[in-house]
Amino acid sequence: MYILLLMIIPLISCGLFWTTNKKNVINTINACGAASLLVVSIIVIWDVLRNEFVSPAFFNNIFYIDALSALILFVTVSVVFLASVFSIGYMNEELKRGVINIRRLKLYYSLLHVFVFTMILTVSTQNMGLMWIAVEATTLASAFLVGFYSNKKSIEAAWKYIIICSVGIAFAMLGTVMLYYSSVHSLGESAQGLNWQYLFQSSDRLQGSILRISFIFILVGFGTKVGLAPMHTWLPDAHSQAPSPISALLSGVLLNTAMYSIIRVMAIVNRNAGSNMFTGRLLMALGIISIGTAAVFILVQKDFKRILAYSSIEHMGIIALGLGMLSPLSVFGALYHVLNHAFTKSMLFLASGSIYLKYETKIINKVQGIFKIMPVTGTAFMLGLFAITGMPPFGIFSSELNIIMASFNGKKYIIAGLLLLFLALIFAGFAAQMFRMFYGRPLSKETHQGEINWPGTAVLVILLLIITVTGLYLPYPVNELINRARDIILLPAGG
Amino acid sequence: MFKLEEILNILSMLILISAFILVANKRVNSYIKTFRLQSMLLAAAAGTLGIYHMAAERKFDSAIIMCLLIILLKVIFIPGMLNRICKRVEYKVEKDFFINIPISIIICCGLAILVWYVISLIPDIKGAYEIMFLTNSISLVMIGLFFMISRKKAIGQIIGFLVIENGMFMAALLTTFGMPMIVEIGIFFDVLAAVLIMGVFVFRINESFDSIDIDKLRNLRG
Repeated sequence: MYILLLMIIPLISCGLFWTTNKKNVINTINACGAASLLVVSIIVIWDVLRNEFVSPAFFNNIFYIDALSALILFVTVSVVFLASVFSIGYMNEELKRGVINIRRLKLYYSLLHVFVFTMILTVSTQNMGLMWIAVEATTLASAFLVGFYSNKKSIEAAWKYIIICSVGIAFAMLGTVMLYYSSVHSLGESAQGLNWQYLFQSSDRLQGSILRISFIFILVGFGTKVGLAPMHTWLPDAHSQAPSPISALLSGVLLNTAMYSIIRVMAIVNRNAGSNMFTGRLLMALGIISIGTAAVFILVQKDFKRILAYSSIEHMGIIALGLGMLSPLSVFGALYHVLNHAFTKSMLFLASGSIYLKYETKIINKVQGIFKIMPVTGTAFMLGLFAITGMPPFGIFSSELNIIMASFNGKKYIIAGLLLLFLALIFAGFAAQMFRMFYGRPLSKETHQGEINWPGTAVLVILLLIITVTGLYLPYPVNELINRARDIILLPAGG
Repeated sequence: MFKLEEILNILSMLILISAFILVANKRVNSYIKTFRLQSMLLAAAAGTLGIYHMAAERKFDSAIIMCLLIILLKVIFIPGMLNRICKRVEYKVEKDFFINIPISIIICCGLAILVWYVISLIPDIKGAYEIMFLTNSISLVMIGLFFMISRKKAIGQIIGFLVIENGMFMAALLTTFGMPMIVEIGIFFDVLAAVLIMGVFVFRINESFDSIDIDKLRNLRG
């Protein structure tokens, strides 16, 4: 029954925001809601670790959490918790400056919790139709959050976001219809006809050619949401215009939940075909194109949040590449990368939020002397930049190493070479663009020394600790989750 | 009596033709009218399917609920809302398309033929009716997509999105005789929410940019 609690808690907190007008009460509801969500999901994940999967027997087992969903769920709730704690300081500052009023604050928090609800629904259902509905609902819930500041740029970003993602997602619906069509034709009409477990177990009886076209539609559809190039055009705008805690959620969590939906369908198609020839080639091609696109665009950006957004495209490309190769090492690397990217990128976006509040600009040239003004945030941001570009000892380094090693083992030398080349380019781009923000002295005398607020800074330090630890040592439960999730995705040995 | 498939085939053809009419329309008001017509045809298809199934199996069929929901939302509510938005967002009658109408129609014909060709290449889709149904509905999606990129007004894009949604729905209805109930109701809820949110953004775009011309949204590039 804990699964239901996972979905009820965000909805309750969303309702509670509208019962009060006091800033402190709103902040407490937000923090308590996020914290209880974290506790409940740890109970659920514990359950998954002890049993194979959790699936309460009602509505034809519509809710289903196994190791793969538990991994994404873990990433989701942890980032959500940290981002909501960060939101308190961030939004209080905006409130103090009169950028927003108390009504907008309530709107912000309630939409944030609805957004969380939709993402949790995506990972905890196994009905492919409901999964589609939940992914579409994530767009709808976050559209107002992207356009939260209601200025010209943010409205443009929000319009692009909702139009491109809704249309993209419509293609995923066509894919889901084809999946169901194949299920009805080969397995007969069944109440479970869209359940992932049911489709997965009887995948050898589905029709291969229909599954292949269904996978193409789903890859294009959910791939739009993942931000794979060339469907990525909404991503830099939405990520750069949203308030920073929302950018952290969009990049660290939302992209992963969309990727999760692709993984589910990919598992069915691979098992049906008995190999990863078809899905692997598509995923690897899109992955390399995404990494290349990001490498080129990072070099010409002027806005530091946009650079981080393009880096998200790059990392989603790396994950797609790892999944496409489908060797034990590469899938492990891809799932491990999901974890590392979520924490590292959300830390960078949150830190960029603090910098934005301090300097009131997102233009790189107007930001100087972060080390002098905000020593802790500055250090965290700098180390985070090293981490995201793949420097040891951070997590991203280890997972990228896994994927590169897997591509050499699989004799995919061209892919490995391209990946290394693009990673080097991206590092150069980050170094040339971002590192000049840290030194010198601020351009304006109005910029006072000091961190922006202590909860926000504490969140940054915690995230920095997490990404350093995951690079050196993976705690047993997390390692076990990743291994089991990998075994779900991989084809059975000898098959 | 006619065969069920024949009636559905005719209706799906009519829906596809309504998409061509939409592409030929010049004004926002006529977009809304054509969309209403298309949704009515879709509701008729759902209704026919429901009645035939009820007559054959002598039990209640969920397609009837779908038919009612389509009439309620896509024939009455959403077009009405779009009309209200149109009235409030004052706009001048001006050229609203990038590509002129005859060329647009030819492109749409090409899209339909391409879709038919691709669908008939898939070996596991057998049966003339199924090929027709899938061709018609996926062509509808493609034409909706083309409509979206060829119009400049925000409302044109909303209509394009709704046509894509209709195409999806038609595919689900005709090839699988409807998805499970909970999924279909969820889809309806999503479409409704999406259109409401897009409507709000149309107002905001109108306030910030003094027009609903999407061409003016070019602050964010690269």
